[in-house]
Amino acid sequence: MKKRIRVGGAGLLVLFLLTILGLSPLFAGGAKDTGGENTVTFTSWRTEDIQRMGQINARFMSENPGIKVVFSPISDQEYDAQVQASVMSGVGAEILFVRSYDPGKVFYDNGLLEPLNTLLPDLKNFPEAAKGAWSADGTIYAIPFVGVTHGVYYNKGIFRKHGLNPPETWDQFINVCRTLKEKGETVFAQGTQEGWPLYEVIFSGLGANFYGGEASRQKLLAGDLRLTDTPFVRAFEKVMELQPFFPAGYQAIDYVSMQQMFGTGNAAMFIGGSWEIGIFEDLGLGDDLGWFAPPVEKAGDRLQYCFHVDAGIGLSKGNSGNEAALSYLEWTASPEFAQLFMDQLPGFFAYTPGDYNLSNPVAAKMINAAQNADLTVRTVWQDLSAQVPSGNGLMEEALVLMYNGSITPRQAAEKVQKGLDSWYPAFK
Amino acid sequence: MRKPLGIPGQRTVWPMIILFTLPAFLIYFRFLLLPIFQSIGVSFFTGSGMSPGEFAGLDNYRKLLTMNPYKTRFWNAFRNNLVFFGIVMVIQNGFGFFMAVLLTRPGKGIHTVRILTFLPTTLSVIVVGFLFNMMLNPTWGIFNELLSFLGLESLIRPWLGEPRTALTMISIAVSWQFLGESILFYAAGIDSINPEILEAGRIDGVNFLQEIRHIILPSLIPIVGIVTIMIFMGDFTQFDIVYAMTTTRGNPVYGTDIFGSLFYRAAFQSPARDGWGVGMGATVSTIMSLLVFLGVSLWLFFFHRQKKRFFLE
Repeated sequence: MKKRIRVGGAGLLVLFLLTILGLSPLFAGGAKDTGGENTVTFTSWRTEDIQRMGQINARFMSENPGIKVVFSPISDQEYDAQVQASVMSGVGAEILFVRSYDPGKVFYDNGLLEPLNTLLPDLKNFPEAAKGAWSADGTIYAIPFVGVTHGVYYNKGIFRKHGLNPPETWDQFINVCRTLKEKGETVFAQGTQEGWPLYEVIFSGLGANFYGGEASRQKLLAGDLRLTDTPFVRAFEKVMELQPFFPAGYQAIDYVSMQQMFGTGNAAMFIGGSWEIGIFEDLGLGDDLGWFAPPVEKAGDRLQYCFHVDAGIGLSKGNSGNEAALSYLEWTASPEFAQLFMDQLPGFFAYTPGDYNLSNPVAAKMINAAQNADLTVRTVWQDLSAQVPSGNGLMEEALVLMYNGSITPRQAAEKVQKGLDSWYPAFK
Repeated sequence: MRKPLGIPGQRTVWPMIILFTLPAFLIYFRFLLLPIFQSIGVSFFTGSGMSPGEFAGLDNYRKLLTMNPYKTRFWNAFRNNLVFFGIVMVIQNGFGFFMAVLLTRPGKGIHTVRILTFLPTTLSVIVVGFLFNMMLNPTWGIFNELLSFLGLESLIRPWLGEPRTALTMISIAVSWQFLGESILFYAAGIDSINPEILEAGRIDGVNFLQEIRHIILPSLIPIVGIVTIMIFMGDFTQFDIVYAMTTTRGNPVYGTDIFGSLFYRAAFQSPARDGWGVGMGATVSTIMSLLVFLGVSLWLFFFHRQKKRFFLE
């Protein structure tokens, strides 16, 4: 009897040991099964889109009754890490948003994404410039899906009250700022606690007209121009001209507070991205929400428009034979999905070839501005942020220091250039 | 002769002891020890994103301590962590001790106040961070409004916009939240002092400060040690409050960047967002753990000696 208990106990122990030591693989296998064969999980870094994506996916599910699509976003800050960890351990989403250029290429280089060239032959019809942001050596690893623009939102009510019109040139812009300040208005809902809006939106968006847009960015990538050269230093100087119009205590205002200030009508202007249309509408600006393109230097100058490649859609590894996932992926590359997406999320502009109708007037203005403009992307996003110290990080740090008065515009340019000199081959 | 373990009159039950502790040990090993060893292992590899690359020996450690921008960020986080720890220590240990002394005096409603002081500890750090962010907001925050109301306009500043004040503010936020914990420990210690000793002191004519110096403090020395170690470990592995108040970038310009945020950014962000790859991230976390281990060991060593001296005096 005693022996039997001992053997039984030992058996239980071995089973327990195996369970504990092999727990992760068991979990991994289990999670795959929970959704069933026809469940497709789609993830992005935009947690605010759950309801709207649900409505978009409802259309697909009604047309494809055998497939259930679950939209399961991850917060922006954790997105890259969580996607990599989950896909690598076999429990990740089948369809995922992929960032443009280097941050997205890290996914592909780590083997997280399936090549799409043969799976989606129609990708050949997508714009070449957009494809370039999600491909490596000719392999497209994500559908070049949407881009975003940068410009200046304004409160029509406040402008009307002071008899102001949206400016077209930089001098007009500064005059509008001066008038608003004299009238006691909060001119900009801008803060510098976080660096990324300063670089991604203000410098890349408004500075492009002064550093020479895409042509200068290409020269920078080739090493023919440096950030310490006149065009870029000038861009730093020009965007610095806006600092006297920032609100009191701007050094401590974070991104969400900026949006709240403008969205609730407590500031006349907000230099922002097209993805914010929905946020301002939800905050109640309604018909008072106006927008104008980054002011050019002189009347008649061609707009250098930062139309940034924002999100691609990828297929995670091991799903090239997953019919349900492929079927959904194919749909995301269709004009139908693009139109639905742009309707639900105004301010995102699809690269998917097709004829679209933009129902949102602000979004329509943004896309119209692109008709007579040279398009470019954020200044140091491509290649220049592939290594440490990244161009993005350097720009953010330098611009915060510049706006907070610790360094001059020239010193800001020198700081970024010095950081890039340490690793970027064309600068060595 | 040592008495054998087990039921009297029966044989030693070592196999049973092993049998019953093994499951707990296995869980501990699988979910705590093994990941720690794996993390240390990853620190010897290169790697972009979450994938460990090639074996790099101690190269990550060399880079972290000697090469820019790694060393700048590392030493900056180290310095910030020390300041953070210093401020929290003063408030939680110093102020917490005196609060506990006051809250153990007899008085009407004292018991309720004691309970109330513990309330913030039950809140989530994210909630506390959000509350402090709201209060310190330069546009609608109540803190600057209060200064203005008191006629102290000259003191108004962007509290979370300047590196020095931002670090002080996040230290205060953490201290405010966990002050109740220190008070709880110290008050429990004071409660356990034999009332006859306190009474004897009072009969002998000790004043309030003498009572603290010669009766209360010596009795609480072991608790001072425990609270200090808890603060030290908590502060050198702190992440949540920075995440909630000044983002993982330790805004403004890394002014509030401490080891927790540096590790998170290094390991989990892409290079474009200041990430260094999982190998460097594991290196930061290994050094972080080593520092905590060394700090706690040193503190225990000196504390043990000081305690002996204190009691011998």
